[in-house]
Amino acid sequence: MPARTIDAELFNARVPNGRRWLLWFLYKVLWRTVFGLVIGLRYVWAKAPHPDGPVIYIANHNSHLDAMSLMTIVPSHRIHLTHSVAAQDFFGRSRFRSWSMKHLVNAVLISRGKEERDEIDPIVLLDAMLRQGHSLILFPEGTRGVPGVMADFKRGVGHLASRHPDIPVIPVYLDGLYRTLPKGRTLIVPFGGTLVMGDPLSFPAETSIDAITEKARLAIETMEQDLLEENKIPSSDSP
Amino acid sequence: MNKLIEAWSVNAEVQWVILIILCILVCSSLAWNVWNFLKPGKLVKELLVRTRSWWIMCACFVATTLAHPVVTVIGLAFLSYALLREMYPLLKLDQRERNVALLCYAVIPVQYALAYLGMTTLFLAFIPVFMFVAIPFMLVVRGETKGIVRSISLMPYSLVAWVYGMSHLAMLFNLPELPGFTAGPQGLLLYFIFLVGINDVLQFAWGKIIGQRAVLPNVSPNKTWEGLVGGVLSVTLIAVALRFLTPLEAWEAAFTGFCVAVAGFMGDAIASGIKRDLGIKNSGNAIPGHGGYLDRLDGFSTAAAPFFHLIYFFGVTAAG
Repeated sequence: MPARTIDAELFNARVPNGRRWLLWFLYKVLWRTVFGLVIGLRYVWAKAPHPDGPVIYIANHNSHLDAMSLMTIVPSHRIHLTHSVAAQDFFGRSRFRSWSMKHLVNAVLISRGKEERDEIDPIVLLDAMLRQGHSLILFPEGTRGVPGVMADFKRGVGHLASRHPDIPVIPVYLDGLYRTLPKGRTLIVPFGGTLVMGDPLSFPAETSIDAITEKARLAIETMEQDLLEENKIPSSDSP
Repeated sequence: MNKLIEAWSVNAEVQWVILIILCILVCSSLAWNVWNFLKPGKLVKELLVRTRSWWIMCACFVATTLAHPVVTVIGLAFLSYALLREMYPLLKLDQRERNVALLCYAVIPVQYALAYLGMTTLFLAFIPVFMFVAIPFMLVVRGETKGIVRSISLMPYSLVAWVYGMSHLAMLFNLPELPGFTAGPQGLLLYFIFLVGINDVLQFAWGKIIGQRAVLPNVSPNKTWEGLVGGVLSVTLIAVALRFLTPLEAWEAAFTGFCVAVAGFMGDAIASGIKRDLGIKNSGNAIPGHGGYLDRLDGFSTAAAPFFHLIYFFGVTAAG
């Protein structure tokens, strides 16, 4: 296999027209219907309007369905420009996996560890993609962790947001999809869930990488807390 | 083609009830908006949100009822499915029992198909006889017995409460031809939906206006004796007034209305008890202002089977 280069990867990320319509149909029609009617995912939309240009979506990660559900909230005209960032070591393991990740999920595969030789620096690649007007879907926890426990965020989102202060970061909190498709299972059993889309965050140019990472994490944690509070019986009130 | 048009045509009785529903919705929307304009408050805000949801629900109910019976049955089956899907995670039946939960979902299309095809005996026996044994056995087959008593109790309960009961509404399409009865199954279905819906609204309204003493203070402090009695009496009267949708005599309609109202209240109370134990206010957030599917459909699913049997008894058995 030839060594990957930034230019080759950027060329790879361009979506021909035919696949653009396939992606639109898959996510805005098919998956949207499956999530809404079959799985019963409730969408809680942001109050602010969706930004027009490139965006970094970040979300907590507990299920393979997470990336699919995030693709359904991307505006139709940007669906071919939006890429989930996925792990090369897991999704690139077989030819079928990497083919479907590229063609059906529109994902970009990056290496998680530093030990893989001949690999390009993921941050440099993602940075170049943002500069070319692509949007990214990041799961800063790095892996599907334990449901209900948010792992520490990797600093990738901080690196990218600090290099692009003009690109908004949209935090998304996902609850309950891990019931429908838990880690390590292959059978999908619909059990509902909630997707909370937050208002876009923007960071001034001088914000440090760690501060951005921390603020992004805090935004998602706040959304988690709000969702928990929403349906509790107040101690003085009645059901 | 003619046959298709015939199947889609709406008879005079059904047109009347749609007009009544429309009037109620328009009047209440107007009233709340005026009230909100004059004196904004928390209660009127809630009423506005609730009424907006009622508009959408009524539109869905009426459209599904007027469509071809297949569409109506699929719509009812979807409500059962939405109830199970909403309640299983709340009842913590989503972890080890997920394969059996999938089996429970699969029961829904079978049960509604039996209703649609009019296989009455099998329809009546499928869930409470066969699935009552099959589901616990499937739970046992997994080989894991920890917490199994809970799942064995809850899963058949969920099927009877939210699938079996609701599926009786699909059975209305298989009533035999009744002499002098022209409103048809669609009329009966709208009659039932109207009664249960207005029952919820009136019990809420009577309770808010003159409610003093709580019926079940530890379960649902918002339900009062005044609301219950006022609601049941009003619904009984409405049931008599709307009996042109049914094959019933005046006193039979009154009895049916009374039973539907009481059963609706019981379903509501049972759901409140379940929610209280689970420590949640609503079963979900699918319907703004109302909560989840269970919050809205608790009365429907409980009153459906009694309603069907009363119609069958008065309309078919007693009429000879």
